[in-house]
Amino acid sequence: MEVLKEGLLKVDPGLLLWTIITFIVLLLILWKAAWKPIVEALDARAEKIRGDIESAEKSRLEAERLFAEHKAMMDKAKEEAASIIAEGKADAEKLKNSIVEKANQEAKDLIERARREINLAKDKALAEIQAEVVTISTDIAAKIIAKNLKVEDQKALVEEALQKIRTVQ
Amino acid sequence: MVQLLQGLQAIIQSSKSGEEESMYDIVMHHLTDHPIHDGFIGKINEKFFHEKLFGIFDMTITKWVLMLWLSAFLCLLVFIPVARKIKNSSYGSRSRWVNLWEVLIAFVHDEVVEPNFDHHYVKKAMPYFLTVFFFILFCNLLGLIPGMSTATGNLAVTGGLALCTLVGMLGIGMIKQGIFGYWAGLVPHGVPAFVLPLMFPIEIIGLLIKPFALTVRLFANMTAGHVVIIIFIYLVMMFQSYWVGIGSVAGSLMIYLLELLVAFIQAYIFAVLSAMFIGASMHAH
Repeated sequence: MEVLKEGLLKVDPGLLLWTIITFIVLLLILWKAAWKPIVEALDARAEKIRGDIESAEKSRLEAERLFAEHKAMMDKAKEEAASIIAEGKADAEKLKNSIVEKANQEAKDLIERARREINLAKDKALAEIQAEVVTISTDIAAKIIAKNLKVEDQKALVEEALQKIRTVQ
Repeated sequence: MVQLLQGLQAIIQSSKSGEEESMYDIVMHHLTDHPIHDGFIGKINEKFFHEKLFGIFDMTITKWVLMLWLSAFLCLLVFIPVARKIKNSSYGSRSRWVNLWEVLIAFVHDEVVEPNFDHHYVKKAMPYFLTVFFFILFCNLLGLIPGMSTATGNLAVTGGLALCTLVGMLGIGMIKQGIFGYWAGLVPHGVPAFVLPLMFPIEIIGLLIKPFALTVRLFANMTAGHVVIIIFIYLVMMFQSYWVGIGSVAGSLMIYLLELLVAFIQAYIFAVLSAMFIGASMHAH
């Protein structure tokens, strides 16, 4: 125990008490003034950061969901657009075909009508020509006849005509 | 460890005779306490503390007491503004100064208190261990400044701190387990009744050895490095040669850097062992 009284290993009760007093006073002051607010603030911050991370995770999932939804919508829209284009193409094809057909039909009709009219005109012309031929040939015949007929023959013919009229009467 | 120190002291003392200011004197001057007689504090000593308190406690303000107060004051100076800054910045301060202390506080929380206490008590236990850690750390680091001395390199100081841990162990144990329950819980369950008279004193000794080990560990670690540094420097005076000076300065610088590391490690070890002891006293084993 002698070694505790002097030298390097001396244990001074006064210093020991001072240590305890200093330590306890420091502990109490820091407890009130520093540790309590620090620990509370750090806990609050940890809580806040945890909450932030959670909400970030939540919004990430939400964004992913929205993105997938959007993508699906885009795909659907693309498909629709493609189908509309295809439909339009088909319609246009059909319309073209029908127009061409109609035009052909009309052309055919037109040709038919023209042909008919031509025939009609030809027939009419032929008839007219026939009539004209009859008239002209009659005239020619009459002129020929008039040149060659003698008076007696004329008389006979008139008589004949009169006779005919009489019989008719 | 005690024997080693006694041996060291014997060696140092053996060189006492002869030179005027021996190695022993130099080492003792740097590593032991001495009351302050002059100046303002000398007057306070004379006026208030000239008599021993209760006949045992010599409350004279000594250099070591001043070092304790200085490190306590530094703790207040550092942590009260830091606390305000931490409280005011909800997403963490940008200041490196604040973040430095925050990292250490988080270190105490994660490494010292959290593993040794139930989740529910962590918040209540934090202030004590933060104070232990930073007070010891500041004392250790202050001792590394030339001209100052290591308050924790004294058995009375480390003993005082360990005594707080012992009181904490007993107090918390008796509050949590009941006064009778705590003392009964010292002896493990399932021990045959006839061994109890043997076991109980052993457990009591075990209980007292814990703070004693804390006391000696911190004291010896803080003292040893200083002794080595002083001896390294003393070598120059002994050999009176510049060439030795180069070696001894390099050597003492290395020890000094090691001391910086030891200052942190010992503060951590004291805090973590206190946490372990107090944490363990909450449950019977």
